[in-house]
Amino acid sequence: MIELTNLSAHFGEAAALRDANLVIERGDRLGIVGESGSGKTLLALCLMGMAPDSARLTGRLSIDGQDMASATERDWQRLRSRRVAMVFQEPMAALNPLRRVGDTVMEPMLLHDGLTRRAARARALSLFEEVGIPDPDQRLRQFPHEMSGGQRQRVLIALALACNPMLLIADEPTTALDANVALRITDLLQRLAQEREMALIFISHDLAAVARATQDIVVMYAGDMVERGPTAEVLSAPVHPYTKGLLGARPDAAVAGRDANGKRRRLPTIPGSVPPLHGLPEGCRFAGRCPVELPQCATQRPVFTQTDVGRGAACHLLTEAHHD
Amino acid sequence: MTDVPLLEVRNLTRRYKLPRQSLLRRAPVLTALEGAAFSLRAGETLGVVGESGSGKSTLARLIMAFEAPDAGEVLFQGRDLHGLTTEELRKLRRGFQMVFQDPFGSLNPRRRIGWSIAEPLRANGETENITHRVAEALAQVGLHPADAGKYPHEFSGGQRQRIAIARAIITRPALLVADEAVSALDVSVQAQILNLLMDLQDDLGLGMVFISHDLAVVGSICDRVLVLQHGKTLESGAAVDVLRAPKHPYTKTLLKAAGVRP
Repeated sequence: MIELTNLSAHFGEAAALRDANLVIERGDRLGIVGESGSGKTLLALCLMGMAPDSARLTGRLSIDGQDMASATERDWQRLRSRRVAMVFQEPMAALNPLRRVGDTVMEPMLLHDGLTRRAARARALSLFEEVGIPDPDQRLRQFPHEMSGGQRQRVLIALALACNPMLLIADEPTTALDANVALRITDLLQRLAQEREMALIFISHDLAAVARATQDIVVMYAGDMVERGPTAEVLSAPVHPYTKGLLGARPDAAVAGRDANGKRRRLPTIPGSVPPLHGLPEGCRFAGRCPVELPQCATQRPVFTQTDVGRGAACHLLTEAHHD
Repeated sequence: MTDVPLLEVRNLTRRYKLPRQSLLRRAPVLTALEGAAFSLRAGETLGVVGESGSGKSTLARLIMAFEAPDAGEVLFQGRDLHGLTTEELRKLRRGFQMVFQDPFGSLNPRRRIGWSIAEPLRANGETENITHRVAEALAQVGLHPADAGKYPHEFSGGQRQRIAIARAIITRPALLVADEAVSALDVSVQAQILNLLMDLQDDLGLGMVFISHDLAVVGSICDRVLVLQHGKTLESGAAVDVLRAPKHPYTKTLLKAAGVRP
């Protein structure tokens, strides 16, 4: 359905996204995790044909067998909302404050599907019901400011579903929300993907939310896909030192803050910070921060090594192990 | 050591008048915080957990004496902050400082960070050794003294939060109030900043009120926890107890949201 082959996005000389490979089929639920600067949002924007004009795309991005890497805005307009749709992080910023939410949700139906207003309204009503908005009839007439953050996020999800896309991309959909609302939105996205047999890409820095919503996961670091595999396996037995570091740095509610002697327990950290775009290391981009560095890491880029079906990482440690 | 706690909060209540719905009716009142109570010793950390609207930021503003409560007391080293004259309060302020969530919003983008860090000193009328003390504060948060000459945009998010912490500790306070101080940071940077806060507590004996919506983060740094919802205290106790055996269903939800594995 959607296939990325060595998709890269360059800003000047720097590759902010490097050789992304991905195959997405109907019903897949994929999590993409990484910290700021990992390229996860840029990847999502590429899939929506919304990468900034200053980005130079290379490689293949195929949607329904059509190569979109060099497609025009017109080509993208035919796909957006009907094939791929996106839910953004900030629900208040993504909704027009001067329009009733019903009109906003109906717009793509009128525009892309050529529905009559009456048919669009009926579909909007059923969408509001599907995403769990109570009193949909009344809610359609409300303005964004009259709704809570969770309700607004549901409206955005309804808007993204307006033209029955086959892929829904949710970029940090729960970050701005309170914990129990975030849980419900996460579960809603998962349920919608299952019921509609729609593919879901769930982008988040929140590992707990990704663990809940997805079957597979890709870990990104500084524009590279460094590890991938079934979500449960990657989170319970990470292979790449960055994934290990990321999971280790996360505070664990089950570990007490002080040890038996009453001393404060420090959290494991990844030293340093994500390198800036103009100062990316030549070899492995995690070199310099990695606790288990080999001589070749600084100069040679590690290739992605498959360790199992759909499971693998880009790390020299894996290829070393095979030589032994 | 005396037996007076560093900070004692007694029966703290704050109500806000909401805009009138109609000319014929009284303005509705929102009770943002009701009967909050705890005490904190030097070197200890109290976690305040809750979601938006729970009253945790109201509690922070009352502790910082940015506004006055409708009932109750905030005793800092035994003195009620809300019973002091403006001048007495101004002198006492160097003893308690705050770290905010958004370091970019709280640093003046047009001023070198050395100027921003020295701001609390100038507010206290201190003029001596400012350069030296800025350098000392920068070193304490793991930055270089020469960084004082740079502007906020030259730093990463994590470094900016270090700068905000340097500004908070420059007056050598006994109490730090951190309001969602690590919420906007990436996981690996968040761990670095949490460790820094713990180092500072060990080195300087700082007491800390640590406000967060993330129970896992609170568990890693706090000795005791206070869980707030709609202004009311749902439960409080040792962090270990609250996190291992939460009594209230709401605390359980927060815990569920903080877990990596479902």
